[in-house]
Amino acid sequence: MLLAVLIANSEGNILVERFNGVPGEERLHWRSFLVKLGADNLRGVKNEELLVACHKSVYIVYTVLGGVSIYLVGKDEYDELALSEAIFVVTSAIKDVCGKPPTERLFLDKYGRICLCLDEIVWKGLLENTDKDRIKRLIRLKPPTEF
Amino acid sequence: MAQYVKKDDDRDEEEYSPFLGIEKGAVLQEARVFNDPQLDSRRCSQVITKLLYLLNQGETFTKVEATEVFFSVTKLFQAKDIGLRRMVYLIIKELSPSSDEVIIVTSSLMKDMNSKTDVYRANAIRVLCRITDGTLLTQIERYLKQAIVDKNPVVASAALVSGIHLLQTNPEIVKRWSNEVQEAVQSRAALVQFHALALLHQIRQNDRLAVSKLVTSLTRGTVRSPLAQCLLIRYTSQVIRESSMNNQSGERPFYDYLEGCLRHKAEMVIFEAARAITELNGVTSRELTPAITVLQLFLSSSKPVLRFAAVRTLNKVAMTHPMAVTNCNIDMESLISDQNRSIATLAITTLLKTGNESGVDRLMKQITNFMSDIADEFKIVVVDAIRSLCLKFPLKYRSLMNFLSNILREEGGFEYKKAIVDSIVILIRDIPDAKESGLLHLCEFIEDCEFTYLSTQILHFLGLEGPKTSDPSKYIRYIYNRVILENATVRASAVSTLAKFGAMVDSLKPRIFVLLRRCLYDNDDEVRDRATLYLNTLGGDGSVVETDKDVKDFLFGSLDIPLANLETSLKNYEPTEEPFDISSVPKEVKSQPLAEKKSAGKKPTALGAPPPAPTSTVDAYERLLSSIPEFSTFGPLFKSSAPVELTEAETEYAVNVVKHIFDKHVVFQYNCTNTIPEQLLENVVVVVDASEAEEFAEVATKPLKSLPYDTPGQTFVAFEKPEGVPAVGRFSNVLKFLVKEVDPSTGEAEEDGVEDEYQLEDSEIVAADYMLKVGVSNFRNAWESLGPDFERVDEYGLGPRESLSEAVNAVINLLGMQPCEGTEVVAANSRSHTCLLSGVYIGNVKVLVRLSFGVDSSKEVAMKLAVRSEDESVSDAIHEVVAN
Repeated sequence: MLLAVLIANSEGNILVERFNGVPGEERLHWRSFLVKLGADNLRGVKNEELLVACHKSVYIVYTVLGGVSIYLVGKDEYDELALSEAIFVVTSAIKDVCGKPPTERLFLDKYGRICLCLDEIVWKGLLENTDKDRIKRLIRLKPPTEF
Repeated sequence: MAQYVKKDDDRDEEEYSPFLGIEKGAVLQEARVFNDPQLDSRRCSQVITKLLYLLNQGETFTKVEATEVFFSVTKLFQAKDIGLRRMVYLIIKELSPSSDEVIIVTSSLMKDMNSKTDVYRANAIRVLCRITDGTLLTQIERYLKQAIVDKNPVVASAALVSGIHLLQTNPEIVKRWSNEVQEAVQSRAALVQFHALALLHQIRQNDRLAVSKLVTSLTRGTVRSPLAQCLLIRYTSQVIRESSMNNQSGERPFYDYLEGCLRHKAEMVIFEAARAITELNGVTSRELTPAITVLQLFLSSSKPVLRFAAVRTLNKVAMTHPMAVTNCNIDMESLISDQNRSIATLAITTLLKTGNESGVDRLMKQITNFMSDIADEFKIVVVDAIRSLCLKFPLKYRSLMNFLSNILREEGGFEYKKAIVDSIVILIRDIPDAKESGLLHLCEFIEDCEFTYLSTQILHFLGLEGPKTSDPSKYIRYIYNRVILENATVRASAVSTLAKFGAMVDSLKPRIFVLLRRCLYDNDDEVRDRATLYLNTLGGDGSVVETDKDVKDFLFGSLDIPLANLETSLKNYEPTEEPFDISSVPKEVKSQPLAEKKSAGKKPTALGAPPPAPTSTVDAYERLLSSIPEFSTFGPLFKSSAPVELTEAETEYAVNVVKHIFDKHVVFQYNCTNTIPEQLLENVVVVVDASEAEEFAEVATKPLKSLPYDTPGQTFVAFEKPEGVPAVGRFSNVLKFLVKEVDPSTGEAEEDGVEDEYQLEDSEIVAADYMLKVGVSNFRNAWESLGPDFERVDEYGLGPRESLSEAVNAVINLLGMQPCEGTEVVAANSRSHTCLLSGVYIGNVKVLVRLSFGVDSSKEVAMKLAVRSEDESVSDAIHEVVAN
């Protein structure tokens, strides 16, 4: 299960937070844990360079994209490698929507689009779509080209 | 929407967020635009974005608010704007309307589900599946089945992923789709295949044969996406795990497939295959090699995720096959300085497992540099690894102990400090040479320790171990400093520790008295009371002293009473003329902690608790049994078995039995739990029929007075048996009791009860019950030192067996002895095997066994059994066990 997708700005304020199968009372804990993880490790990291951590049987893969940091949390079949696959889809979709690694402002300007992308990529904890061109068409309700 | 005004200056632009000052109430107001007769699509999209932003920030809507928004949103189905429609689908899912509201949108969604536009269909399926319940699902099932095999991959994927979710809530419906899902597994679209495979496996996961067929056909066919390939590898290893029991000759099934995946172009597939190979049961080094080789390559990858995955896998392998990983040591050492601390910690702990004795010093040097800049949770992992290393190479204790004492002096939180102190304590216990230096390190630590808990624990430990050292006087200064400098809790502990030194070391007694007398003026009453008590018991106040043994029993012995019982008794005690009598405290353990302790498999806590877990359980049993007058004359307890369940899981009454073996007696301890809240059981006994156990005669029964709901209790039955004879037999058990109805609301039981009984499974006394599993560290030495005087050798045919390893395990279980030097593991495909066992037979006779097995092509197993022991009759008895 892909437990969480979390996107924050460089100060650690949450921009997008989507949890799956995480009880309400644990979410705040996860939020602060991830933000602290980012604050400790993401300084000076290049765009899209992946960082990884694990906590008991839960894996976390995270990265920086322009002015935002992106965190994916998973367990079981969503181990560090599956998460790195998923985060790659997320970053490329965001870049695609924004046209470049976004500033926080640009990210918020394209907020609706980005929510649609995330909706296409992760659905209730399962990876659904992985191809950025297809996602780009799907959020405009256009059929994919390749079939 | 002033925020949307375009700014010329780039820097200004950065400062404004489109959601600046966003407020739920205002957005809900704005949502009224959804009701406008002339819909402004752009505006509506913006409002939905704001709603999404609020929800994604963790904002919640009340039921009324959500309902209102939901009803307004449904109006937007009239809009023709495609972008808006996509947003509508998303916001409906996010609002997740309640079941009575769903009806409003179902018709619109059903229409979309049959739309000619494919993506309308896909989205409608996802929304419907998110908000639907069982009844609606049966209505749309037909469309979903069609969608699974839709030629548009987006529609098929949407239906399949929906299926995965629905399987949790409506499994019986989704299971009917397996034909369609099966077809989708053959799809040419990579993702459809991935989703279909996941769903098909979930549908069939309980049908081993079907999973096995699925794996067989797909490993031969083509799997298009790396994600699906990873799934397939996982399912394959599951099949291997389940089939390896039945297949011991020839090659391991599917190994070639896994090995082939190591050459796949996608990294995640390579990893999955490598991981699957390393996790195979009884994997051989030949099988491991290719997997380790690819993992080694990834250790020097530029991507942190790959390095992490590789070192994580190797770390696991190192636990079971340390030698296989040693080739990677050089690559791993370079990872100690890795930027990513998770990787560095994993590398270090792996190296600590695989390193050899000569490399320890160099490794410690590298770790020292690394420790200063990692977080406490990583440090704890390293400390644990160092403790294991030290136990593995006791000769290296000096440098490892120094390392621990150095890090003990540095900054750190409670958990970290506790981990270090625990490790030092364990090393002191297990490595006698390390004792004195270890104790001094602990003394130095308490000189400047901010944690009261750790100080008191260390003082307690010092009191036990300090007096037994060569020069106990050197610890006194550290202990008395606590009395001067610390808070009351620590001062009180220090007083107790001083008293222990006084009791054990006669030469120190006069000086201890001086120190204790000073404590009589402490401003805390507990400290004063303790000082007075100890001065009195030790004779420091000039009074007549109790005997030395009494004093030591008092200071070092345990109370012999469950603390919970003592607490209850003290609470119930009303201050009167009559003093509190400790012998009035019941000794029965109420909440049956023994079996639970065992099952929890908790690491023994280093401080305070007696060292190894098994003896502590036996100790507790022994104390319990000797507190029961009927059994107090049985003499020393030889062995207590692990609890054996006598009832199925989740029955009305749960009963397990622990067999206690004495020289001339056997006691069955029945641990009973009543799982019915409406019942109270009284006068609970187990009636045992020993007609199939001729040599046993029942001598005593101890009923359980009352067994309330969910509070375990015990009843006992004791048998006499001939001394020195390993008598065996089968016993049938019936639980008898008086059952009383309990009113669940008040918890009160009715006056009258009904007699009832409950059939339990049979219990058995077998030969293995007379054997204690006691290992030896060097079997060869132990064998030589026992000598050939009472050696008995014979050969046996075991008949056709499933496999060699099954035969070996059967004999080990029959004898109940401890396998030594890992010889219980039989290499795959081997035709012969030698197994070394050790144990202590009833009467405290040491026994060693050497078993040589051979298997022929028709799976006939032959065994040569050589027994050496300290007693001829015991060697014969072992042969008799096998012969019967």
